[in-house]
Amino acid sequence: MDLSFVTFFLVKGLEISSPIAFAALGGVFSERGGVVNIALEGIMTVTALTLVWGAITFQSIWIGLLVSVITGMLMGFIHALVTVTFKVDHVVSGVAINIFAIGLTRFLCQSWFGQETQSAINSRLFPSWLGINSLAFWLIPVTILAWFAINRTVFGLRLRSVGENPEAADTLGVNVYLMRYAGVIISGALCGLGTATLFADKWISGMVAGRGFIALAAVIFGRWNPIGAVLASLLFGYADTVRIVFETRIPIPVQFVQMFPYVLALVVLAGLAGKARAPAADGRAFEKGEG
Amino acid sequence: MSESLLEMRGITKRFPGVTANDGVSFDLKPGEIHALVGENGAGKTTLMKILYGLHRPDAGSILVRGAPVTIRGPREAIRLGIGMVHQHFMLFSPFTVLENVTLGEESHTAGVLRPSIPRRRIEKLVKENSLAVDCDSRVEDLSVGVQQRVEILKILYRGAAILVFDEPTAVLTPQEAGELFKTFREMKRQGNGVVFISHKLDEVLEIADRITVIRHGRVVRTIARAEATKQTIAELMVGKPVLLDVKRDALEPGGVVLEVRNLVIRSPRGYAAVDDLSLSVRSGEIYGIAGVEGNGQTELVKAIAEGAEVQSGDILLQGVDIRRMSVRERRERGIAHIPEDRQKEGLLLPFSVAWNIALGSHQRPPFASRLQLINTKAVREHARSVIAQYDIRTPSEETPANALSGGNQQKTVVAREIGTGAILLVAAQPTRGVDIGATEFIHTQLLAARSKGRAVLLISADLDELLALSDRIGVIFKGKIINEFTHDKAVREEVGLYMTGEKSHGAA
Amino acid sequence: MAQRRPGSVRYAIFERAAPFIGFIASAIVLVGIVIVLGENPANALSAIYKFTLQTSAKLAAVLSVSIPFYLSGLAVALAFKAGVFNIGVEGQYFVGGFTAALVGIYLHVPPAIHIPLVVLAAMLGGALWAFVPAILKVKRGIHEVITTILFNNIAIALVTYFVNNPFTGLQKGQSLEPQTRKILPTAIFEKLNGLFRSLGWNVPDYVYLDYSLVVAIIFGAVIWFLLARTRYGFEIRAIGTSIDVSRYAGIRVDRVQIGAFLASGALAGLIGLQEIFAIRGFYTYSLASGLGFDGIAISLIGRNSPVGVIFSAGLFGFLRQAGYGLQLFTRVPNSVTYAIEGLMILFIVVINEILVRAVRGMRKKEAG
Repeated sequence: MDLSFVTFFLVKGLEISSPIAFAALGGVFSERGGVVNIALEGIMTVTALTLVWGAITFQSIWIGLLVSVITGMLMGFIHALVTVTFKVDHVVSGVAINIFAIGLTRFLCQSWFGQETQSAINSRLFPSWLGINSLAFWLIPVTILAWFAINRTVFGLRLRSVGENPEAADTLGVNVYLMRYAGVIISGALCGLGTATLFADKWISGMVAGRGFIALAAVIFGRWNPIGAVLASLLFGYADTVRIVFETRIPIPVQFVQMFPYVLALVVLAGLAGKARAPAADGRAFEKGEG
Repeated sequence: MSESLLEMRGITKRFPGVTANDGVSFDLKPGEIHALVGENGAGKTTLMKILYGLHRPDAGSILVRGAPVTIRGPREAIRLGIGMVHQHFMLFSPFTVLENVTLGEESHTAGVLRPSIPRRRIEKLVKENSLAVDCDSRVEDLSVGVQQRVEILKILYRGAAILVFDEPTAVLTPQEAGELFKTFREMKRQGNGVVFISHKLDEVLEIADRITVIRHGRVVRTIARAEATKQTIAELMVGKPVLLDVKRDALEPGGVVLEVRNLVIRSPRGYAAVDDLSLSVRSGEIYGIAGVEGNGQTELVKAIAEGAEVQSGDILLQGVDIRRMSVRERRERGIAHIPEDRQKEGLLLPFSVAWNIALGSHQRPPFASRLQLINTKAVREHARSVIAQYDIRTPSEETPANALSGGNQQKTVVAREIGTGAILLVAAQPTRGVDIGATEFIHTQLLAARSKGRAVLLISADLDELLALSDRIGVIFKGKIINEFTHDKAVREEVGLYMTGEKSHGAA
Repeated sequence: MAQRRPGSVRYAIFERAAPFIGFIASAIVLVGIVIVLGENPANALSAIYKFTLQTSAKLAAVLSVSIPFYLSGLAVALAFKAGVFNIGVEGQYFVGGFTAALVGIYLHVPPAIHIPLVVLAAMLGGALWAFVPAILKVKRGIHEVITTILFNNIAIALVTYFVNNPFTGLQKGQSLEPQTRKILPTAIFEKLNGLFRSLGWNVPDYVYLDYSLVVAIIFGAVIWFLLARTRYGFEIRAIGTSIDVSRYAGIRVDRVQIGAFLASGALAGLIGLQEIFAIRGFYTYSLASGLGFDGIAISLIGRNSPVGVIFSAGLFGFLRQAGYGLQLFTRVPNSVTYAIEGLMILFIVVINEILVRAVRGMRKKEAG
């Protein structure tokens, strides 16, 4: 096992973990504010498509990234609107948005690229560094920023308060609706950032392949804090890297190897002894004045 | 006449279906403790919520120190020097005391928190007002009395001069209430004004300078302490001569129905919530459990009525060990349960009143045939007779339970549970949040069950209720029954001393 | 007979109005998109009509397409009633279809026995695939949305493996899509078109109204009866409303919830019967995909009730066919209908919430 292989493995693992990790960070922001966000998968699907479209149309991958992040924020806004303002059950809304995302991407792909399941090729990619998409390295500063924001800022304290006890936060003058919207929109933006680390050369229907849900498992496993969620995402990501690297060299049928990340996520979830504590008001609608 | 600190004039507030406040006028002078009394649902809390900016009045005006103000939200109320300590604490359990006190009023530089400044201020307030609290403790680790001090710190931190307390002694022992009143007197000395909402007339008479009585959203009268007696206040509250003491017949209790022996229940946090607890309840007897919330009552009730896991000890129903039995088996053997939280534990809110009454017995004839088919007609007919018998106010038996008022919802639960004919009735906080009329009715029902020879285990935070109804009172402290009082020997202050653990293991 | 008060009829209508309002709102959006795409809306509507409702043949096609939608929606709805989000319908349907196919391929019995066994095998396969998520939910409190979705992914991989290797029906050198051996003639779901024709409905041969229609009707009736008229149905609905209250009332929450979850999985297993046993005649992992998520949409639109799902499944069948019609006769692409479906769900869940809360307020006012 030579050094260059180890470096390759470490770096490749980071790239593979990044989409999950960014989405998981998004999940943390949303859920600490008290909004369950099952729609991470759907948001990632849509932002992946708009990323490619933006890069092709504006001939710049950075504009593509901007479009992706803005789309994520828009999708997050929809989820917030449905759950916070209209008080629909969070899981129902998340599932509805996932379904909507499937239909929306088919339609948009058809309109923009002439076919439903695959986009045109985008040749403007992110600069590489150490052999991988350099955007993946942003995970490190973004994670630190996220941790700082949640634990050391006024915004973070108020966001967490809204997720714990929105009625109490309301009596202290915190704008519960605004905080929840903020948390969810940030989660959408992070999804947009995460899909940029997936692949940016084209969009294929189904490319997100459940990463949004694995991100949710990472949020739970990481006990709803940013560092934990990212570490859990790295666990899943590196496990998947192991699979990719050794796939062709093991005598196990390829489909079983493909199952590995999902089985791992299940085992991890099942093995969590003693339920980790979600924010107390996670998933609960807030009605102003009903305190 | 000194200038009023606060004046509320002609406040009117309507909600769908009810006028909570109807032309209410209320004023507070500096250095005064002013009590606001009335039944549950009379409108006291609504009025104070309007003051605190949580509701906007439909009519009327508010003046603070003589100047008219519009209070659009809690922030403005806080800025005007109005602070409110709510009945149900508005605290964030996993956060520290510091975080709880400063939330909404954080010290920061460009958004980044700076805890050192608040820390100094809080420590100063703690010293000045003798409110012993540690800045870095997590609120969830604190006892209820200390948590209330955090709530008080919150409003002092924000410079409150008008302090509103909504039923603050509901969760306190008599001794802790005494400490609270000391704080009130300190506030008075500093020239602030205290509004004290309560339905506990003894306390009101002890501490208040003036008393305003509200009934059905209107002010009945405002009287000075010198003119007030318990009887007069109660009559003003209800509008008719009130029986302050429930009629209890002397009864000879029968055989032991429930026996709990050396029960140990471990909480998920590791400590023993119930720690070698023993008690027994006989038929024809009401056994009341007095204690500050959090001393094991909830766990005890869950173990008896819900089948929660028990580490060691026995629970015997008529001599039979029920520890391993499912809830259904326990109910079939004759345990009925009025849960603490009717909305979360007692009623299927979207279901009709009829089905809520049948719930628990729904699997038996006449509600379900042997083929497990449900008999809707039987359910409805039974419900109609129960509704009549218990005077449950509802448009029809088909109305969903969530449309009913709190008192009627509780009556539904009580009707259902007593209607099972159970030999042991476990009643947890049966009159919490219920208006006087329904409370009186429920008390009557409990006593009727007792007369019929049932055993009643009554858990209540309302010491007066326990004293009025119980044949025996057991004081629970740190998971044990440390003393028992018979009805004649039970005196408020003494029971309170045991509740706080100041006294332990005495003879009744 | 109890009298129905006029107020309660009004409430009942309001509570159920959301799907209709949502549908109209989505139709408006559809017309908007059609106009933006430069097509004449009248043209589009006539294209839809031509392809879905104009002839009895087209109607039969809508019905045929709706059968798997109905079973999927029913499976999800039953789970929802018990408070379970069964997103694993996709995986359960693939696995259930596979186990049914095995019975259909390798068991040699007369049709009267074979067909019921096939149905049973489909249910067992689906329930099997719901088993682990059910246990994890009830015993460990792990949210079933995540576990069932992970199980979906595992199911696809597993089934792909099985079809490619041990159970392949292809000979060396054949270049068809990967598939199993053929289903035996005794297990094939015959078409009922002849029966319909004799009743006056002219169903052409290329439309599949087969035994799976009977399956759908029977199970639909069974589930409706279960939920509305039996004590288990009451308990299921109680648990879906509040687990704590149900527990205090003595209901065996764990058992009933697991049972409902498994039953939901069993129903999901039936989804593939039409495609495997009537249309294709063999099993392949390239069965119609997305039926699991469609089922969720159908259930939500049908307000999670067995009766509502009949209408929403029909609606979905109608929409799919409408999409083809649009694509054939206008320049509006098929994918529009998918986008509209998604939008419609969002409209419906929001409007439903608004209406339910409004009714609650009205009832409170009435109760005083």
